[in-house]
This record gives sequence, C-alpha cells and structure tokens, in this order.
Amino acid sequence: MRKFVLMHLLIAILVNSACSYQDRKNTTHNSQLLALGTLINISLWDVDENLADSVVHAVDNRLQTFHHDWQGWAPGRLADINAALASGMSITLKDDELKLLQQAISLSQSSQGLFNPAIGQLIGLWGFHSDNPAGPPPNDAAIKTLLHLNPSMSDLRLDDHELSSQNKAVQLDLGAFAKGYAIDQAVMIIKQNGIKNAIINAGGDLRAIGAHGNRPWHIGVRHPTKAGTIAAIDTQGDESIFTSGNYERFYVYEGQRYQHIIDPRTGYPSTGTLSVTVIHQDAATADAAATAIMIAGTENWQTVAHQMNIDKVMLVDEQLTVHLTPAMLKRIKFEHQPTIVLSNHSS
Amino acid sequence: MNPLALMTKSDIVFVGIAIMLLPWLYIAFWGDGNSGELARIQVGKQTPVLISLQTAQRYTFAGPLGNSIIEVKDGRIRFISSPCKGKQCIHSGWLSKNGDFAACLPNLMSITVSGHHPRFDSINF
Repeated sequence: MRKFVLMHLLIAILVNSACSYQDRKNTTHNSQLLALGTLINISLWDVDENLADSVVHAVDNRLQTFHHDWQGWAPGRLADINAALASGMSITLKDDELKLLQQAISLSQSSQGLFNPAIGQLIGLWGFHSDNPAGPPPNDAAIKTLLHLNPSMSDLRLDDHELSSQNKAVQLDLGAFAKGYAIDQAVMIIKQNGIKNAIINAGGDLRAIGAHGNRPWHIGVRHPTKAGTIAAIDTQGDESIFTSGNYERFYVYEGQRYQHIIDPRTGYPSTGTLSVTVIHQDAATADAAATAIMIAGTENWQTVAHQMNIDKVMLVDEQLTVHLTPAMLKRIKFEHQPTIVLSNHSS
Repeated sequence: MNPLALMTKSDIVFVGIAIMLLPWLYIAFWGDGNSGELARIQVGKQTPVLISLQTAQRYTFAGPLGNSIIEVKDGRIRFISSPCKGKQCIHSGWLSKNGDFAACLPNLMSITVSGHHPRFDSINF
C-alpha cells in the first residue's frame, strides 16, 4: 500500500513537472511577418489559436497598406504628398493621414527640429532611399545647397485637411517615425480584438502590452558593438522600447563608414553616439525621440529628452560609457556593469 | 512517529533514487545555464529553422539579396558570408550564449541562440 502511494506521488510530481514545462512552451503564440521592409515578430500570450491567426492576418494587412502608403522612396501616398509640396500645390489629407502628420509636426517641434522628417532630399542625397544603400556619399557643396534651403516641419501649413508647404525643398521622409506609428496601429488592432498580453517587434523596435502570464515580458537590449545583449528590461503594462543605433543602416565607401541618421543641422551623419534606447508608452513618440536624442549627442541629449517628455533614456557613447536618466536606471539590468554617467535631468 | 519507520528498505531506496533524479530532471526540463544549445534561424516569412549547436556544419540560406552562409562549430554559430553591403552580421562574430542574437536585416535573416528556456521574450536593437 505504501509503495502504491509513493509511486503515485512520484508519478504526480513528474507529470506536474512535464505539464508545467509544456504549459510554458505552448501558451505563447509566435508569428513572423515580412512588412515595413523588415521582419516583424508578434508574440501573443494565452490566446486562442484561431483568434491569434485572425489578428496576425489583420495586422499584416494593416502594415502592408501602411508601408505601401508611407515608404519614402516608392510610389504611394507619401510620394503623392511630396509631389504636391514640391510643386507648391496643396493636397487634401484623409483623417488618418492628418493625424499622422500632426503627430510628426508636434514631435519635430518638441525635439527642437532634431527629428526633422522634412529633410527627405538630404536623406536621399546620402543614398539612404534604397533597400540596400551603397554610396558614394554626396559632395559637400550638394549638402550645403540643401541645408541652405532649410526645409523643416514648420514650413508645413495645415488648413483643416489641406496640406501645403511654404518651402518647396520640403520632402517628407518618415523613416524615423513611421515604424513606431505602424506599431501603434498594430497594437490598436491587437487590443481591439480583446488581447491583453502581446509584443510586436518590428526589426528590433517593439511595443509590449500586458505580461507573459504571471511575470513581465523580458526584453534584451542588443549590445551596440558586439553580439549579444548589453542589458535587459522588464516591461511594465503598456510600453514601447526603441533603439536608434549607428549600426542599423550604413554603408562603407572607400573604407569610410556612413550611417543613416543624418543630423539636420550639419547635413552629415550624426557622430559621437553609438546607440540610444528609450522607453515610452506610444511607439511613434519613442521612435522619433530615439532618433532626436541620438542626434543631440552627449552634450544635449538630456535637454531634448526633457523637451520630448521622455524620462527613460539610455545613451551609449563611442567610449561605451552608458549615460542614463534616473528613471531608466531603475528599470535596466546590465549584463556586465558598464561605466555609467547618471543624468541629473529628469522629465 | 518517525516516518522512516513506516518505510521498508526498498521504499527508502526508491525514494532515494527519486531524489537523486531531481537534479537531472531540473537540468533536462528547466536548466539552461548560460550556454545556448539551439539556434533559431529566421529568413523572411519562412517558418523558423532550429539548428543544433552540437553538430559542426555549414548551412546556406537564401534571402532576398542572395545566399547567407552560416557556420556551426564547437557549440557556437556565426555568419561567415552575406550578400549585404555592411556585413554587420558577419562582424557580430560567434554567438554561443543563450540570448545571443545577430541579424542581417537587408537579407531579412536573423539568428537567435537559445537554451531550453529562452532568456528573453524579444530583443530590442
């Protein structure tokens, strides 16, 4: 009798262990999409398989349409808008287009113009209006000519739904904002379908809602100069984590490396900073802020972060010194303790 | 009453063996230390491919730009050839730890190393 009881106890422990293991493996629904010109990973926790498939399909459709409309260098709605602005004409925006551009204008203002989607011509001049940029870099005179024209989002005029520009040099490129905006749209679809726990990761930038069961979503932040991660962040509720890095898009021409984040003040790729990681609720703001703070660099990043109301920032400079806001310090765990400079500026 | 007094010698041996099995069970089902055992290769929208890091081999994956070649050796994995311009994926070097990650976004390809229990739900970069 005793053996019988012991045997059943042992079997129960083993079965429970195996079931717990299976539970952990099977309750996250992971899907991959190819959209926005990159890989999209969607993780949904504890969602019925049919619902998950249907939501992923809806997100895919939304992202494909968004990419078609707003890609900077292909025919689409953005190309139509840019053609109108370049010719001095006005163009009528739909409600969702108006909302998108209003948010871009507002973020550009709060970033002190460092997030400047109006410099599409400059970005094109550097060769980054391509899926596979290769150079050569533009000459200094061409850069100065475009800088002199000084295109900015403040040149845009919105009269109800009518968009026009008082500067024909404005060419919109939403590359530092569109991915975030699209992720926000995707999360809206996910939430509208009653899903409370999810991550959508678009080429490394992500927004997470809810949690992974009884623990938070656990996010690794890639090291800017080598394989692996530099740190980990556990998300809280509904948060976006965006990183701008000089390793993301670049080309090497005659031994010189040119990265894709262009400083609108100089017309040249930004320097001095390897990466900027921000946490903020909405992805569009996080996207634009990561770019603006990266351009601001080690001297001015705190001011720009404060102006954009971003309180969780990590900036890694070229010496691999990590600059942190106090709020980010509380949220981030490093793989190996780096040299940290703590900001005394908090939003 | 001493519970051992209720058990026969064979009961004690049986329970002893069960207790000795626990560390193995933990390692087999839950443990992963810091070393990776598998690499998950994602190419575009294709179903991810899982590769063991225990078998030395080279693999070729076709992306939109062309073929990327991956090498597995001594429990590690790396890109050794890629049609992208920047070669950032190759410069990432060897990946071996649970959570190590490298991507070639131009060729829509990524490698994520994991053990039994992935360290991260998602990677930000």
